[in-house]
Amino acid sequence: MKDLNEIQTTAVKDLLYRIADDQLILGHRNSEWTGLGPILEEDIAFSSMAQDKLGQSQALYQLLNQMGEKDPDTLAFTRSVDEYKCCHLVEYPIGEYDFSLMRHFLFDMSEAIRFNMLASSSFEPLAKISRKFKGEIKYHTMHAITWINQLGKGAGDSPVRIQKALDECFPLALGIFEPSDYEDILIENKIFFGEKELHEKWYDTVVPVLKNANLKIPEIKDPEISYGGRKGKHTEYLKPLIDEMTEVYRIDKDAEW
Amino acid sequence: MSDKNIKSINTINSIISIDPRVTREELSIVPDVDPIKDLHHWQTYEVFHQTKKGDRHLHVGSLHAPNPEMAVILAKEQFARRYKCVNLWVVSTGDVISTGYDNEDIFDTTPEKVYREAGGYKVMERINKFKKERKQST
Amino acid sequence: MYGGGYIFEESKNGQTETDDVIKLENFEARIAAGEKIEPADWMPAEYRKQLIRMIEQHAHSEIIGALPEGTWITRAPGFRRKLALMAKVQDEVGHAQLLYSAAETLGKTREDMINDLITGKSKYSNVFNYPAVTWADTAIIAWLIDAGAIINQVANSKGSYGPYCRALERICVEESFHLKYGHDNVVFLATGTSKQREMVQEALTRWWPPIMHFFGPSDKISVHTETLMRWKVKMATNDDMRQKFLDMYVPKIWELGLVIPDPLLKKNTDSGIWEYTEPDWQEFKRVINGDGPCNQERLAVRRRAEEKGEWVRKALMRTEEKYTVPLS
Repeated sequence: MKDLNEIQTTAVKDLLYRIADDQLILGHRNSEWTGLGPILEEDIAFSSMAQDKLGQSQALYQLLNQMGEKDPDTLAFTRSVDEYKCCHLVEYPIGEYDFSLMRHFLFDMSEAIRFNMLASSSFEPLAKISRKFKGEIKYHTMHAITWINQLGKGAGDSPVRIQKALDECFPLALGIFEPSDYEDILIENKIFFGEKELHEKWYDTVVPVLKNANLKIPEIKDPEISYGGRKGKHTEYLKPLIDEMTEVYRIDKDAEW
Repeated sequence: MSDKNIKSINTINSIISIDPRVTREELSIVPDVDPIKDLHHWQTYEVFHQTKKGDRHLHVGSLHAPNPEMAVILAKEQFARRYKCVNLWVVSTGDVISTGYDNEDIFDTTPEKVYREAGGYKVMERINKFKKERKQST
Repeated sequence: MYGGGYIFEESKNGQTETDDVIKLENFEARIAAGEKIEPADWMPAEYRKQLIRMIEQHAHSEIIGALPEGTWITRAPGFRRKLALMAKVQDEVGHAQLLYSAAETLGKTREDMINDLITGKSKYSNVFNYPAVTWADTAIIAWLIDAGAIINQVANSKGSYGPYCRALERICVEESFHLKYGHDNVVFLATGTSKQREMVQEALTRWWPPIMHFFGPSDKISVHTETLMRWKVKMATNDDMRQKFLDMYVPKIWELGLVIPDPLLKKNTDSGIWEYTEPDWQEFKRVINGDGPCNQERLAVRRRAEEKGEWVRKALMRTEEKYTVPLS
């Protein structure tokens, strides 16, 4: 695909912001576990994946920068809360490890499918980045599937905890797939297959894993209950997160850190 | 540091810290946690790392994991997050059989058996002697 | 990160106990020849005891050391610093893992070591009982505390115990990144805006006393110290390492226009020895015995982490297992 026209550019930028903001916020959340994990080896693994997310978000902000937006640090550290396009799921506090692992599983499975779809995007710069992320995301899903599977069948109160985490995360996860105003443009121009198809593929992938882990899929009464994030309407958790994340950056706006 | 203002403020119930993550934990300063029992940090696995195809797998250390499947997942980050790697093996520590250092002596004479080393075969002198004798006899 | 040869305790008899005179002679001859001792080798009980203590406390220092800088992970300014700080703190956790494994080869379980940490029985490097008050504190810690740790580690990597040396080899590689990152960070602050310069100067002023405490008080020359040095468990005197640190880093600190809060600090041009105000060893003793600004917080955080993780570890535990000592 050659140069994008104006509406296509807007559509792509919106998509990039959504993905990058999800990764920035979730990477930030997961970094809160560094040094505090349930066992040293897992602490190390979880921290690597948080770094991967941040690195991926930086690469996507970089692409946005090449498309005329500001530089990655400015985008990540100076926007106002309602300018972020992350979904509600990633904003929630880390909670206990069951919540964080379940969030990691549900979110990363969607990322893997999303980037797999984008690897053949007609917008080559995005396709290129997506192909580059393939290996990292593969590890994230391997990690997540192993943990959910083992804890779902684990001893003690583990199955109960994991089920509860699923009950809490599943409705939130549906907010990942909130459609943008540009779904048709993205689909028609083969830039992206769209949130609806992503949602379906995601559901078909996670459900067998969850069932195999002896978990019950929660009943969803309102699939749009966690919508809003993509349009700048966030949970109460995002502002304190952004305030904390930008605390030092805001000390001196002329400073180079 | 003598600046008392810098001390963590310990209220009756919880610690307020400079670290916002710690404050969020609402930690008590009373040490009332049960000791960790044996094996609660799981068993150990030995990890072998192959840098690139063609290289040997080398032992790089051990880690704690509950089972082999998890050991491989955890080994990836602890032993290969920095280094080029194409493959990792994990083996339960208990499955590694060793000759033991108390049997180190079974290897004592190994380096001395020159009959099976290239360096154990030197014929230069013999050839030179033979050549010399041949010359003399003609 | 680590610090301090002051971690060794005096042996109860004042003499080292030996199980077998000939074995001890061979053992000492091997060490003198530069050979390594491996886990299943014969070793004097005192050697085993002091090594476990030293390696264990090094491991504790790493996991506790993750906390002062970890304070600022969520607030790191910009991608570059955020990623680097996350990687650095992750490395500390990784070092703890490597070191607990090395200590385990000597026969103490990881669970026992962690219990000793969270009950306050085992010590860790004193410097981590102080808070990282501002972002600039993390820069000073990453540069100068890691610099001190590297001096310690490079010395210890030539020690006699195989597993510890191998762990230190891996650790030293990562520490070199920490040092460069720390220095880079301090340089940006010191050469930055006036707010940044002020922040890093204050941080340096605040951290200089703990930095001077880092290598511990001057070593008492005793039979015990001599034995530990002959066994290559203790590799250098505290004063030697402190001098090395001052020699390498004071000029670099002054080069940035930063003021070190010690008017007596200077290198004697005749002797080549750095002179300084004697650090307050009473304060050092007070803090290492539990009365520092952050001691309680540090242990409370570790206890909470263990507590929170208990259900995870129990969920996957296999109760029929027997404990196996790791190999190397």
